[in-house]
Amino acid sequence: MIFLFYIVIVFCIIVLQTAVVPLLFTTRGFYDLLIPFVVYAGFFRPIAEGLTTVILMGLITDCLSASPFGLYLTTYVWLYVGARWLVRFFHAHSGVVLFFIVAVGVLFENILWLLTITFLGRMELISSEAVVSCVFRQVLWALFTGPFFLFGYMQIPHWMKR
Amino acid sequence: MVVANIVILSITSRHHHSSSSLGPVLIGIVAPFQAGATRSIQFAGNIWRHYFSLVSVARENDNLRQALARAVQENNKQRETVLTNQRLRRLLNFTKTILGKQLAAEVIGLDPSPWFKSVTVNKGKFNGIVKGMPVVNPDGVVGQVAEVSGHYANVLLAIDRNSAVDALVQRTRARGIIKGTSSDQYRFKYVLRKNDVRVGDTIISSGMDGVFPKGILIGQVADIVRRNSGIFQEVAVIPHVDFEKLEEVMIILNPPKGNFLETP
Repeated sequence: MIFLFYIVIVFCIIVLQTAVVPLLFTTRGFYDLLIPFVVYAGFFRPIAEGLTTVILMGLITDCLSASPFGLYLTTYVWLYVGARWLVRFFHAHSGVVLFFIVAVGVLFENILWLLTITFLGRMELISSEAVVSCVFRQVLWALFTGPFFLFGYMQIPHWMKR
Repeated sequence: MVVANIVILSITSRHHHSSSSLGPVLIGIVAPFQAGATRSIQFAGNIWRHYFSLVSVARENDNLRQALARAVQENNKQRETVLTNQRLRRLLNFTKTILGKQLAAEVIGLDPSPWFKSVTVNKGKFNGIVKGMPVVNPDGVVGQVAEVSGHYANVLLAIDRNSAVDALVQRTRARGIIKGTSSDQYRFKYVLRKNDVRVGDTIISSGMDGVFPKGILIGQVADIVRRNSGIFQEVAVIPHVDFEKLEEVMIILNPPKGNFLETP
């Protein structure tokens, strides 16, 4: 039941990200809206539940994107592992960390993508100015709106109990 | 684990998408919802435009009447030009630039990543779309079909860094390859230093890649860098197509034969 619920949520976020957000923001500077969910899954959900959802998210997004197949899957899994590691060793699943963690996740995702593009030998095609401005815009948006998504997801167990 | 991950990614990146049936299936599942969301927003936008903006419509109507009068005159001139062009084409035994059937499709979803550029359109295998078909719009080259499901297809845009189009400078016929950069400009690569290219020159498809018909607009030269060393010059090109406002596209159903096309 919980998996079905997560699948519906993930589905809604993907549709929001690929069909609604581009119509509202003409310049492509909004961040990946699935990141708050990955962070939430890493921080607050059991490994079987969280990892399965994260893998499913990665596969769907990989199929919809022009990126090399597996890039989203890789990003989400590493982000998930990172979030779990933070919880385990620093007990960083509450307080001020939640305000910054989505922005950190967005920065991590962009770094991983840019490393992949560099590795594929296509970095020469992007101007550094465009990279900095795009990443900066995404991180800024994540800083201001990410916590709202995260706190929204944290209400999921309460909704399920009702 | 990291090394294994990098190796797998480098393998998958060589083939644009997986050859498994997973991609088309997932596109087939997600795309109807994308179409629904896009249509809902457009519907709400239309209500706003049609019912709440009537005040500006009257003023706009006057302006449009004047513009129409000018357009009618312009149209007459154009018709004359078309007739002249037809005569000259027959005379020179030219073939038509864009051959045969085209299919209009609506953009219903965009790539989730800002670093990769693709769109989902509402036409697929059942409409005769095949992987590799060229996609254009009245402004010029848009991209190429990369993945097809039953009623939907994924189009790799020409501005994506994985995209390449064989192109010509219209004025001097200098040849090169238009590469996407995933930003708002193309790179016109492999243009010899000796070739005459100037800022403002129009770039068109050459038809030599076996994908895009010859003569379709691609963009205009914005900047040229000729280094002291090297045999090529670096040319930046501004696309004719506004990829940020892409709503409808035309898929060319019978493009020139190329290796990239799959058999349906």
